Amino acid sequence: MIMLPDGAQDRLLANAQRIVDACSSIGVQQWDLVGFQSYGHELDIEAGKITMAGGGGEGGFGIRVVEDGRFGFAHLVDVSGAERAVQQALSIARKSPSIANFVLPSEQAATKVGGMCDTNILNLGPEDLLEQADALLSAVKSADERAIVTGGGVGVSATASCLLNSEGILESGLTTSHGLGVQVTIDNDGKMTSSYQGDSSRTKMVDVPDCVELAVDWAVRTQHPIEVEPGASDAPVLMTSEGFSPLFSMVVPPAMMGEKLVRKESFWTGKMNQNVMSEDLSIVDNGLLEGGFSSGSRDGEGVPKRKQSLVESGRLVNMLWSTRDAAQQVAEGRIDVAQSTGSAVSRGHQSPPSTGASELMMTSAKGSRTFDQMLEQMGDGYVVNSVMGAHTANPTSGDFSVTTSSILRVVGGEIIGPLKQAGLSGNLAKALAGNVVLGDDVRRQGSYSSGSMHLPDVLLMEGLRVNPA
Amino acid sequence: MVMAANQGEPHISTTGRYLDQEKVRNALDLATTYGASYAEVRLVSFTQSSVAMRDGILERAIPGQELGLTLRILADGAWGVHSTTDIASLPEQIESTTRLAKAVASRRADGEKPIGLAEIPVFEDEQHWKSKLDVRHTELDTKMDLMNDFYKGASQHKHVVSVTTGWSDEHIHTELMTSEGMDRAWSFQRSLVHGMVTARDDAEVVSYRTRTGGQGGLELIQGVDLTELGEQAQTAALRLLTAERAPSGKMPLIADNDLTGVYIHEALGHPCEADLVAAGDSCLAGKLGEKIGNDIVTVVDDPTLMGGYGAYPIDDEGVNTREKVLIKNGVLTEYLNHRETAHHFGMEPNGGARAQDGLHHPLVRMSNTMIQGGSHADLDELMEDVEYGIYACGTRGGQVDTGRGSFQFAAQEAWLIENGELTRPLKDVSVSGMTLEILKNVDGLARDASLATPGFCGKGQTVPVGDGGPVMRIREALVG
Repeated sequence: MIMLPDGAQDRLLANAQRIVDACSSIGVQQWDLVGFQSYGHELDIEAGKITMAGGGGEGGFGIRVVEDGRFGFAHLVDVSGAERAVQQALSIARKSPSIANFVLPSEQAATKVGGMCDTNILNLGPEDLLEQADALLSAVKSADERAIVTGGGVGVSATASCLLNSEGILESGLTTSHGLGVQVTIDNDGKMTSSYQGDSSRTKMVDVPDCVELAVDWAVRTQHPIEVEPGASDAPVLMTSEGFSPLFSMVVPPAMMGEKLVRKESFWTGKMNQNVMSEDLSIVDNGLLEGGFSSGSRDGEGVPKRKQSLVESGRLVNMLWSTRDAAQQVAEGRIDVAQSTGSAVSRGHQSPPSTGASELMMTSAKGSRTFDQMLEQMGDGYVVNSVMGAHTANPTSGDFSVTTSSILRVVGGEIIGPLKQAGLSGNLAKALAGNVVLGDDVRRQGSYSSGSMHLPDVLLMEGLRVNPA
Repeated sequence: MVMAANQGEPHISTTGRYLDQEKVRNALDLATTYGASYAEVRLVSFTQSSVAMRDGILERAIPGQELGLTLRILADGAWGVHSTTDIASLPEQIESTTRLAKAVASRRADGEKPIGLAEIPVFEDEQHWKSKLDVRHTELDTKMDLMNDFYKGASQHKHVVSVTTGWSDEHIHTELMTSEGMDRAWSFQRSLVHGMVTARDDAEVVSYRTRTGGQGGLELIQGVDLTELGEQAQTAALRLLTAERAPSGKMPLIADNDLTGVYIHEALGHPCEADLVAAGDSCLAGKLGEKIGNDIVTVVDDPTLMGGYGAYPIDDEGVNTREKVLIKNGVLTEYLNHRETAHHFGMEPNGGARAQDGLHHPLVRMSNTMIQGGSHADLDELMEDVEYGIYACGTRGGQVDTGRGSFQFAAQEAWLIENGELTRPLKDVSVSGMTLEILKNVDGLARDASLATPGFCGKGQTVPVGDGGPVMRIREALVG
């Protein structure tokens, strides 16, 4: 294997053991430990050419100690500092409030999840990536001679990880990933249009993925903007999976977290078992998804992951909990009973696990429509392929106000041309409770604020306002 | 092994250097033997601490130390890079990384320009910006007491459902050695406190965030009245509970210095980054020397602005930092450069190379970016001529498409301006526009300019930045 040094997994576990030993010698009551070590190769592309080839590896450990319901955490790279890190974590635990009945989970049988590691990726070297980047650049040129990849790249990685605790949980494994992204720009007499698209997989992507052609397509589609009547108006909006997912990830997953719901910080607070979305819509979090980027046998605390319904036929039926959040909210009297739903997310070695979703999937009982059928159903409105400022959406209310330069005007079910720029605002919770139509092409989208999402194009018939520039 | 002798603290030597300089020099020499025209080793150690409290109770405190190293080799006009936390493995990577650079170079098309680096002075020195009160010696109890001051100011109201406070500080130590003979070490610290007040009235839930801090140690936080900051945040959150949705459309906009800073960061700063210009992804390509803004607009980016969250003593290529004037009286005068882009454009490097940490290679980045003050006395004078518009304050972030030149930023709160007076409070105000149009629409600036709240900028890598300016009036902006 080219990418992974011999014995990488064993070394990770041996280093983890040094921290475990430090816990034992200090006499820590309970502890859990996560460790990561990743290796990879990457290429940067700028101005239509490969500009840099890189590689390397990074990793570290996070140690959480629990003493009488109090927890402390520390992270480190160099395990020669293990004892110091454990002492720091313990000292913090002793200053932290005690959470009644907060203990680390004990070993439970977990389902093995397949598709997480592809040996074909482990055998990839920098030369393979260079060839793939060449193919990617050729695909862009052949899609449109004027198109230039102004940014992006290709990367592969392999990550050895481990999770172990004082209660007998020991999980270790190897995951792989292969990803690419391209920012395609077309300069038309000084007026530039651009589009970013990317794709990633746990398995080797043999061919140039469709997203590359899609990036060129949207850079072309948004050329030659048309004039539209100024002034904001309420209108149906067909958001592509790429345009919809950033807003969805900012607003919807936080609303389903148990802690937010019981603290009254979710717009769905007090609505358990009530309709919160259109009656045909359901959301499932599938923590056991084969080959998922956020799925796996166990969550960040070692609790077995599961597939669970969160919204069923429009009704909120479940919420997400980690062991710690559940214990804390019960202890503080905000809810009578709560237990882990296998939803603790470890976001690397530098922070303790927190609650989050794994692989969210939104489906409709009404079935799905093709893109053209959705245009026809929309009649007059807009298609939006990307938005700027999704991170400014308000997760406690669902309100958002974003901007798009990747927007098409639709009249009578036909696309008549792009707008130069427009504002797009509304309340996503309310829009999802209205008339919603889902497309038939579900695509996985990554996220900076939640797990992965598997979303089709989404037609929101109500609740959005478009404000052309 | 390239680490200095272990003297107790993990990996640190009695000289305070992590790298064994002689061994690194040998490794760099080896790179030139293999055909590198330039090689560098940059090591960064972060000693970090973060604390989170909710409603006056400690949620978590996280101390940590991160150490990373990046080897960068330029051979045949192309880059090969190796980043690792396994510091000891460096010598083994010299040959393969040089080979990688050559493999990239071999794909260069005929007539395509090889990468080169602008000349810079070579230094062998150390610069350490000492904090008055070193963050590494600040006790958790001290941090919690200060964070509780914010909680006390923010919490006492029936509609306030939660107050969260966060603390983050870091000591950043960097060592850079190059095949040109550069051998520099520098260090500095950053401190930050942030708070969020969430208020609820029936079904209406709002939150208001605030931050304070900058480059420096505990003294920065102790110098702020956190109780007052909490009170201000509470007042703003309660105001948002009754605020109306902002109107949509094109109208005059007045921004406070916080929002002005985000505006100039997004709308102008990013398109001025020369790596984006060189990549064909900036609307400011080819516009140096052109008038792109109103006469009153002068913009600087200045990493030497001590106390600013984006301040640093030396850039991550070892270049001394200085103030860059990006726009002078409306004319585009300078791009932000690192050595590669400076060579590409035939300019001088101006200290704009920044990497997120030791595991990332330097990109062209902003530091502390500000519009300079103008001639109006204050907000009242700027509002005098506005019949119907918006006064927007604070920031919830922004984003830019540098190629198209379009940007968006969102305010935390706002007021409607009617006939020169602030009337009703508004919420969910976002503003968008095109860089090359809106800079010409800036038609009023208050005299006093200052850095506003600390921020973070993402460009594949995240780095701390400062931005600010005076209260600014834009003749016409797209709101909502």
